[in-house]
Amino acid sequence: MKKIIQNLDKIFYPKSVAIIGATPTTNKVGNVISKNFIDGKFRGEIYLINPKYKKILGVPCYSDIGKVKGNVDCAIIATPSKTVASILDECIKKKVGGIVIVTSGFEEIGENDIAKYIREVALKNNTPIIGPNCLGVFNPYTKTDSMFLPMYKLERPKAGEISFVSQSGAVGSAVLDLAAYYGVGIAKFISYGNATVLDECDYLEYLGEDDDTEVILLYIEGVKDGKRLLEVMKRVNKKKPIIVLKGGKGAGGAAAAKSHTGNIAGSYTAYNAAFKQAKVVEADGINELFDIVKIFNQPRPKNNRVGIITNGGGLGIITADAVEQMDLKLADFSEDTKKKISEILPSYGNVGNPLDLVADSGVDAYKKAIDIFMAGDEIDILLIIVLMQTPPVDERIIHVLTKASDDRRKPIATISIGGTYTEAYRKILESNGVPSYNSPKAAVRAIKRLVTYSEYYEKLKKE
Amino acid sequence: MTIVDDFRILEKNGFELLPYFLAKNEKEAVAAAKKIKYPVVLKVVSSEIEHKTDVGGVKVGISNEDILRHSYQDIMKNTKGKKVDGILVQKMARKGVELIVGGKRDPQFGHMIVLGLGGIYVEIFKDVSARICPLGQNEIQEMISELKSHPIIDGARGRKPINKKAIIELVIKTCSFMEKENLGELDLNPVVCDDRGCDIVDARFSR
Repeated sequence: MKKIIQNLDKIFYPKSVAIIGATPTTNKVGNVISKNFIDGKFRGEIYLINPKYKKILGVPCYSDIGKVKGNVDCAIIATPSKTVASILDECIKKKVGGIVIVTSGFEEIGENDIAKYIREVALKNNTPIIGPNCLGVFNPYTKTDSMFLPMYKLERPKAGEISFVSQSGAVGSAVLDLAAYYGVGIAKFISYGNATVLDECDYLEYLGEDDDTEVILLYIEGVKDGKRLLEVMKRVNKKKPIIVLKGGKGAGGAAAAKSHTGNIAGSYTAYNAAFKQAKVVEADGINELFDIVKIFNQPRPKNNRVGIITNGGGLGIITADAVEQMDLKLADFSEDTKKKISEILPSYGNVGNPLDLVADSGVDAYKKAIDIFMAGDEIDILLIIVLMQTPPVDERIIHVLTKASDDRRKPIATISIGGTYTEAYRKILESNGVPSYNSPKAAVRAIKRLVTYSEYYEKLKKE
Repeated sequence: MTIVDDFRILEKNGFELLPYFLAKNEKEAVAAAKKIKYPVVLKVVSSEIEHKTDVGGVKVGISNEDILRHSYQDIMKNTKGKKVDGILVQKMARKGVELIVGGKRDPQFGHMIVLGLGGIYVEIFKDVSARICPLGQNEIQEMISELKSHPIIDGARGRKPINKKAIIELVIKTCSFMEKENLGELDLNPVVCDDRGCDIVDARFSR
């Protein structure tokens, strides 16, 4: 890994941070970022920089970064674009470890000269620069947070093992907000904007080596070097799964084609081909991205045989249909499993897959059925449907499902469909790390992605 | 540049083509067919005609001289008013599954290959899979199994499966040809395949 990429550690694990363009004016970018660090319980040194003030938010303020006595690991620049070049020079002189430029007004409006200068300075000094024109970074482990969206508007997710690289700040923040809402943990978030110095490939490289990151999400609209993206995705995806969402799938470029091939294959065709070649998981939309992310915290299944547990016959059938449509298998129960199941069912119950516990079964029946499914070698994945509306299902179901999710012998997914009451339960399940879905199709699609990646991963291990 | 120039470049790059001859008149066509051996097909060669089939510029399954002469005159009649560079006499291809092997230079990813169900309806069915060059055998195998029509390739309805080795070799060859010549677009369509091999029936490319 290149030195400049390694140096991103200075941005994600800073002992000291300087916010250049800090301001007392509420809701201005420099104010929100300052609050992120001051109110967000950042444990290192915080240096606010603005020549107009002596103190901001009760913290001493410096006229320029050169006046700071101690080292600065991470500098966040939130000043107007025309000031950025000279501030960058001051940062380099101060020997800061890494820089985040959130300011916009560069390549995206044709200001290429200053962008070129930023690139040259960064590469010459091996100083990583994220942005410009971006939200920057968020690391819940170190409370490093350059996102200029106030915390009361965008709840910060808890610390976890999923890292998210996003070309778009808007998509990035929306996904992060949802992650916080559903209690999904994040390791690192990078909104990289114009990718002036470091691009998506560099961040994939970095996260591939990052111990806090187990799963990588990537949102891209366009890249400069597709060949390199393919090569880096291939390499990193072998270490940890990459889940990608591509924005802009229009038939760009196909209009001028002279051949059949040119007519069929637009620019998205190439991206899609590269995703397939790298064996990364491609999500179809933000919702699916989220559906997939949730299940990737589960252990990898050994095979594709699904065991369904339900307390509602109809939902079991719809889910079984989805399992078959997605080319997954409904597990055939062994004699041993059948015998164990018949012992827990009421006399009028039927042993089958889906296993219908019937509506008057309570939490105990779920617990026993889950234990049997976890033990049976013929079942690889547990898909548990819970109609929260039935009288015998009470809050203890949360504990049973959370325990099943923490069991780690096999992956589980849960489906619960309903209104306010059910959604409240789903939210608790999510924040306990239990993959919960409100539609059979969404759950089964996510399982399919996990199975496909696991098959690839198993194949790699054998090679 | 006519199709024959394209054919020559393909041959120079190791592609095996069906025997062909560009006839300037009926007499040349008769002589060529005799040499190539029946059955043959006739195709009009004209820069002014994009879809030869649509204007009645293609005659297939010609099994003797009589039919050949008739077909030749027919084509000339159908294409009256257009500038005709000649009539291509080509050995009739084997019967089999019609595939397309296509290539394209993508501004971000470089050369890529498209493989799928070929023929004149290729843009309607759009049953193709795509990959970025260079490609290995396993990746091409994956491209084939990704196609909706892969049961046809694997021998549906009592037919023998097509010769996968031949199609894999053709794709690999196409990849390196695209890269070596830095082509913008390429169609080998249709490529007719059976259990013994593949025939490239038509080809076009541009830089």
